[in-house]
Amino acid sequence: MPEPVTFHIPGPLRPFTAGRSEVRTDVPLTTLRQALDLLGTLYPGVRDRLLTEQGALREHINVFVGNEDSRYTGGLATPVPSGAQITIVPAISGGSSGGGFDSARASRHRMI
Amino acid sequence: MIGQKLDHYRVVEKIGEGGMGVVYRARDEVLDRDVAVKVLAPGAVQTLGPEQLLREAQTASALSHPNICTIHQVGQTGDTFYVVMELVEGQPLNTLAGAAGLPTEVVTRYGAQIADALAHAHDRGIVHHDLKGANLLVTREGRVKVLDFGLATRHAPGQLAEVTQSFASVDTKLAGTLPYMAPEVLKGEPGGPASDLWALGVVLYQAASGQMPFTGRTGFEISSAILREPPATLPPAVPPGLAGIILRCLAKDPAQRFQRAGEARAGLEALQAATITTHEPREEPSGPRLLVHRGIQHLAVKDGDVLLLVGTMKGAFLLRSTRERKRWDVAGPYFHGHSVFAMTYDGRNGRHRLWASTSSVLWGTFLRSSDDFGKTWLNPREASLKFPAETGASLKNIWHICPGGPEEPEVLYCGVEPAALFVSRNAGENWSLVRGLYDHPHRSRWMPGNGGLTLHTIVPDPGHTGKMYVAISAGGLYATSDGGQSWQARNRGVRVTFLPEKYPEFGQCVHKIGLHPQRPDRLFLQNHWGLYRSDHCGEAWQDIANGVPSDFGFALVVHPHDPDCVFIVPVESDEFRCTPDGRMRIFRTRNAGASWEPLTRGLPQKRAYETVLRDGLVADSLDPAGLYCGTRSGSLYASRDEGRSWTRILEGLPAIVSVRVASIGTPRTTPGARPARAASASPPARSRAARPPQKRRKSRG
Repeated sequence: MPEPVTFHIPGPLRPFTAGRSEVRTDVPLTTLRQALDLLGTLYPGVRDRLLTEQGALREHINVFVGNEDSRYTGGLATPVPSGAQITIVPAISGGSSGGGFDSARASRHRMI
Repeated sequence: MIGQKLDHYRVVEKIGEGGMGVVYRARDEVLDRDVAVKVLAPGAVQTLGPEQLLREAQTASALSHPNICTIHQVGQTGDTFYVVMELVEGQPLNTLAGAAGLPTEVVTRYGAQIADALAHAHDRGIVHHDLKGANLLVTREGRVKVLDFGLATRHAPGQLAEVTQSFASVDTKLAGTLPYMAPEVLKGEPGGPASDLWALGVVLYQAASGQMPFTGRTGFEISSAILREPPATLPPAVPPGLAGIILRCLAKDPAQRFQRAGEARAGLEALQAATITTHEPREEPSGPRLLVHRGIQHLAVKDGDVLLLVGTMKGAFLLRSTRERKRWDVAGPYFHGHSVFAMTYDGRNGRHRLWASTSSVLWGTFLRSSDDFGKTWLNPREASLKFPAETGASLKNIWHICPGGPEEPEVLYCGVEPAALFVSRNAGENWSLVRGLYDHPHRSRWMPGNGGLTLHTIVPDPGHTGKMYVAISAGGLYATSDGGQSWQARNRGVRVTFLPEKYPEFGQCVHKIGLHPQRPDRLFLQNHWGLYRSDHCGEAWQDIANGVPSDFGFALVVHPHDPDCVFIVPVESDEFRCTPDGRMRIFRTRNAGASWEPLTRGLPQKRAYETVLRDGLVADSLDPAGLYCGTRSGSLYASRDEGRSWTRILEGLPAIVSVRVASIGTPRTTPGARPARAASASPPARSRAARPPQKRRKSRG
């Protein structure tokens, strides 16, 4: 029996997960894409805030599987092992704009 | 079957198989879309008889509900019966639950959708007969679709008796169905709405706990449990409210169940609201759909008031005044932390709706609306504007929200980055990309400006439905006269400073355009260097920068009542985008650009290095007209005498990117009744949100 996978939900997304900071599932998952798809199916408001309409992870959202930033472990193809902890981490991108003036990629500190 | 054609459906691949037959993905070659085609097994046809089968499927095809898979067509080719349905891609609900079940709020949300689908069908006399986990697909968007209404497997009485008395494992065809069967159905009675509600109870039980309420190793054991045993105890994690609804559905006696699916839905919805508030009430008591801004003194807006919508890089502010426009109440920030590049007021067809586009560098861009002047905002789960998959494009920002012309009271447009136009024909409910412009052969050669490749200004021609202009940076001005199907570049005579060719057909970095409803063929244009007028729908342009300190600038607005009067805010240069000489001056022409004069009274004239962005200047539709000007330094200036004198009504806001104004009044009821090309026809493009002045006077008697 595989161990459940746990998603850690950041504050701004909790209005869409009925306030939950953690969501657990024991549906078998293989990749991060599958895992985020499942989370988006369970909590529809989450998907469009994490992924663009083309299915790419938004530029300033980091998703960790365990302690590893998925950007460096295969992106959405990152394997999700049994019992994995999936942490969604918005980057801190100070003083940024939403759409046009200062593209705030400069420093991508992590907020844990 | 693969590759064959059934009527105009070409069968592409097999996607599933059930008791009633095999399901294929097929291509509808007439409507050019993918559909699902279920080819019925000969056995299924025999049990019910082809006539009844066709009749039931035809009845079910009349169902139209967001949670019911639509049946498009029922057909017969030779001995082959087939049903053409909406292609639904999703996961069966029973596979989502896992072994531990789904969280309560997810169960209640899905449950309410299924109950709503049942209520819709039952009201029309249609019973599902085979509701089960495998017949409930959850789409990527989290919407449940009930499959196979009117196509349910029926079992000949003998066949059922064989299974329920069997001491062998349940035969595969019935394995997925038997555990959902109501006691009365097992006893051989025909199923009705109440047996669908029983099945709903089993579905909810399974979703909430990951287990089945009635189990057994053989058909006999399962049927005995259904007929005689109480359901297995639900795990303690299932709250009493939900357990109560499930157990009521699972009453052995149909009369003890909910009498209507609508009652089950109401119970689930009430529970849904309750779950949302009880989890972490301090977090977000308002729930996902409605965003309530607490700690804000909201505006009380009355008929005849003037409303200012101020979008900034860090949120939105709303201001209201009476038509005297002397004192302003201020509310905000709304959506703090999000940049608000576009807002508008839609007062057509009895609405009082505010729209805002909110953009966060983290979470993306969303359209929000409020029907109570900002007290609550719809916070959509899904983004309303999405580029189709085949474009490969993703929405970055929404720059302009623009109600359609007077003949189209349900139409709204959005201009976005990357440069594209979206349209909604149902007052903002659904949106689609305007392909005529997106597929324009020039597109690949448009170049992003400093703010990205954006379509930032939309100007419908108020006198001609289907005729409109859009401004793209840097693509130039484009016009359509067939409602957006075809678009022509209209940039002849507009100079480009940054390309080797100075007067190209397109590629201009246009900053703003404006027209007056009385003279809709005449356009004014503020370019990235250059100030222009066209007297013939943009077909040719002439320079009108006569005596302005700089012809670089962003904002431009046409006087609401005088078509020859235009206001601009020149800035020094491309490199130094501030008001020249540290003096904030708004320039006005009253002769369509033959000469310009500065307006300075009340505006800072010392060390005022201000920037007014393209949507930072706006005029209301009152008489005398009011003007409003927001700066990147966060000051908001207002004039209630057509620009002669100004007052700073707010300072210290985040950088202002958009100012819009609306006169709140009794909305137009007859959008068509409008004197041709009169001043009252429509407000000018920049203050499109405002209502026409003469109409308002009329409405006041």
